[in-house]
Amino acid sequence: MSARRSWMASAIPLSLIFAMSACSTTPSPAEEGSADPSGSAAAPAPEPSAVVETRTSETITEGDVVTLRAWTIGPDAPSFYRRDNLIDAAAALNEELEAEGSDQRVVVEASFESGGAWADYLQKVTLAAESGQAPDIVLAGHENMAPWASAGYLVTLDDLLAQYPDAFADVIPRLWDAMKLQGVTYAIPQDTEARPMYYRKDLLAELGWSEEDIESLPDRVRSGEWTMQDLVQTAQEAVEAGVVDEGKGWYHRPTKGHDHYMFYYANGGRMQDPESGKLVITRDALEKHFQLHYDAVNTWNITPKNFLGSDFRQWHETVTSGTVLFANAGTWTWAEWINTYEVPEEEQWENVGFTLIPAAEPGGEPTTLSHPLVYMVTEASENQELAFRLLAKATTPELNSRHSVESAHLAVLTSQIDDPTYAEDEFLAAASYMSEYTNFIPNHPDYGAYDEVIFRFLSAVQAGEMSPAEATEAAIQELQAQLGDELIVE
Amino acid sequence: MVGQEQAMPSARFSAISGFWRNHGTALFFMLPALVVTLVLFLAPAIITLGLAFTDTATATGLSRWEWIGWANFEQLLRSSFTSIILRNTVFYVSTTLALNIALGLGLAILSVHVREGPGRFFRALWLLPRITPSVVYALMWVWASASPPFGIINQVLAPFGVEPRAWLSTDPWLIVIMINGFVGASFGMIVFTSAIQSIPEDLFRAARVDGASAWQIVRRITLPLLRWPILFVFVYQAMSLLASYEYILLTTDGGPGLYGTEVWSLWAFHTALNSYYGNLQFGLGAAMATVLVLIGIVVSASLLRLFHFGSLVSEPRVEIS
Repeated sequence: MSARRSWMASAIPLSLIFAMSACSTTPSPAEEGSADPSGSAAAPAPEPSAVVETRTSETITEGDVVTLRAWTIGPDAPSFYRRDNLIDAAAALNEELEAEGSDQRVVVEASFESGGAWADYLQKVTLAAESGQAPDIVLAGHENMAPWASAGYLVTLDDLLAQYPDAFADVIPRLWDAMKLQGVTYAIPQDTEARPMYYRKDLLAELGWSEEDIESLPDRVRSGEWTMQDLVQTAQEAVEAGVVDEGKGWYHRPTKGHDHYMFYYANGGRMQDPESGKLVITRDALEKHFQLHYDAVNTWNITPKNFLGSDFRQWHETVTSGTVLFANAGTWTWAEWINTYEVPEEEQWENVGFTLIPAAEPGGEPTTLSHPLVYMVTEASENQELAFRLLAKATTPELNSRHSVESAHLAVLTSQIDDPTYAEDEFLAAASYMSEYTNFIPNHPDYGAYDEVIFRFLSAVQAGEMSPAEATEAAIQELQAQLGDELIVE
Repeated sequence: MVGQEQAMPSARFSAISGFWRNHGTALFFMLPALVVTLVLFLAPAIITLGLAFTDTATATGLSRWEWIGWANFEQLLRSSFTSIILRNTVFYVSTTLALNIALGLGLAILSVHVREGPGRFFRALWLLPRITPSVVYALMWVWASASPPFGIINQVLAPFGVEPRAWLSTDPWLIVIMINGFVGASFGMIVFTSAIQSIPEDLFRAARVDGASAWQIVRRITLPLLRWPILFVFVYQAMSLLASYEYILLTTDGGPGLYGTEVWSLWAFHTALNSYYGNLQFGLGAAMATVLVLIGIVVSASLLRLFHFGSLVSEPRVEIS
């Protein structure tokens, strides 16, 4: 049975590849060049080759030894603690097993994949699960649980969470929303991040802002006093005053990805119905979302024409050159600018500030969006409870904080905020409050199709091919055509 | 009656052994090719056709899929993207094909009418894109057409008054067609060059003796005798272009705007084999691939009919020994 499934698991993608590319090679898709694994790149990049490094915990010769296998991924190299935390947790779990008087002992064999393509990693997990060779634990994005749980690859964790109520009691409560599919928990958060709005302090000063105005901006955004309308107005003033060039008032993400939904959420949009689990599109919010992006390019000239689909590397080079007033990106980008784009850290602190995404209008809520990476226990595991308990031992303030600091990700545990390693990191300490305002993308098998439709119409709007109203209607019709009953239009 | 029953297996056996005696050796030598054809071409085609009528996806796995009849094809009919992407595909294939043939033909004619050394060197230059790895070749174009202040194209054209721009955003088809056209032209160039070189030299000499101009020689002798190679390159390249998407994937990824440069094969790839969110839609992608195969069959049959393929491959009326 396993051999047949293994053969079929390979035969289906192979058949499609042969059928579609009889005369052409089939390169894998390009990924974006950042540490964020959360969106596909319209801009091309050389296809990196994955480096997979496997480590094994200390060899144990006594007792009933169980080997737990785990697969983790960066793809950014500094995220290697996703693997090492599991390795180091083995000792703690063995101590606990010994204290319980159990004969069982665990050896953890965990791999970490860096530099490779995210989609290839997902495909590897899928094929392994289909052929009955999946490891005990898999790390991926929280949204990946939807197709995998639907296919029966994952274990539900609610019973184990009830059995071990203290194991994950410290997890930031809001993160559990992203760990569930239709109310059932399938995942444990490994890390999270936020996506702030960065701003240039030096350019605001040039525009006439006082130091107090500049330094108080994050608080004013947080309180809802300073909104997206103010951001647009400020960006326009900067363009008109010649402080920045036309099109350099606001840079949003230049490629497909989750970040765009922050502005949809800020306008009151919903993406998933918590009761039914169905995907949701909020007509009014979608039109406002499209209108903002249309006006930014075509009316206000604060964002460049032909921006969506441009190269992420050039985006970073332009932003780090200090010529763009506002730019929204991930928290990990702060470290990326310092490490990859060689901006001196001191200079960055002096010239760059960060805040939540402002509320759409007065009275609204500021927002951000997180994309937690999660550990999942597979159905193929013969030691599901031990795998779950290993995750509990790998989810501690000490282990999570060393990962957060090394890879510039935010805390997933409440107590991490006070952890000395975490608290010493000035940026993480300053950005942690953003987790309170965060939103997530939906856990739904059809989210990929949903996102594709919204992104393509957003691109059309910004390119001036359609008006926001036309695009809204067309997008809703297309979503209904593709998703049918799985979509709620409100 | 009993005798007849005994005679029938015996007759069948002798027929089979007769068949093996006559064709066994041929079948033995054909076996490797037969296996390759069955395993790598026929089996995938049958699996793809079957998948097209299922809802197979990552979310269903291989144990929870269902037959859904024509639902995938109905979804393609309902989608507003279908007409956009079909239109793109027709535009991409026809314009790139025209560039391929015209450029390949021009290069072949020009390079065989100069001295042999420079001609060979010139042809070798045009082969470079074909022997360069696709990813490297595409990336060279991406960087060459980068947005201002970057990009070699911007820097080269600026002195001629061409406003610097992000070429992949402002003129995506121009770049996509050039990328594919320059690679494709080298294929036509090789085929046409060898075809021109196989035309008996006597015909050219006789034409020159009769006072024909260079253009008249090309128009009246070369082109008519290239009809078969042109048909071959035309049909082969048309099929290749229908199925090719790698350069579009690596440059525009189907954008900008609302599927600005998305072609059918790329759409099928995006649907079936490339999901950032992990839910690969094998069934829907297979339906798209099936439609592509049908389009390919119709187009190639039409082209063969248009060019009177039958008469081109018929026995010559005059045998010259």
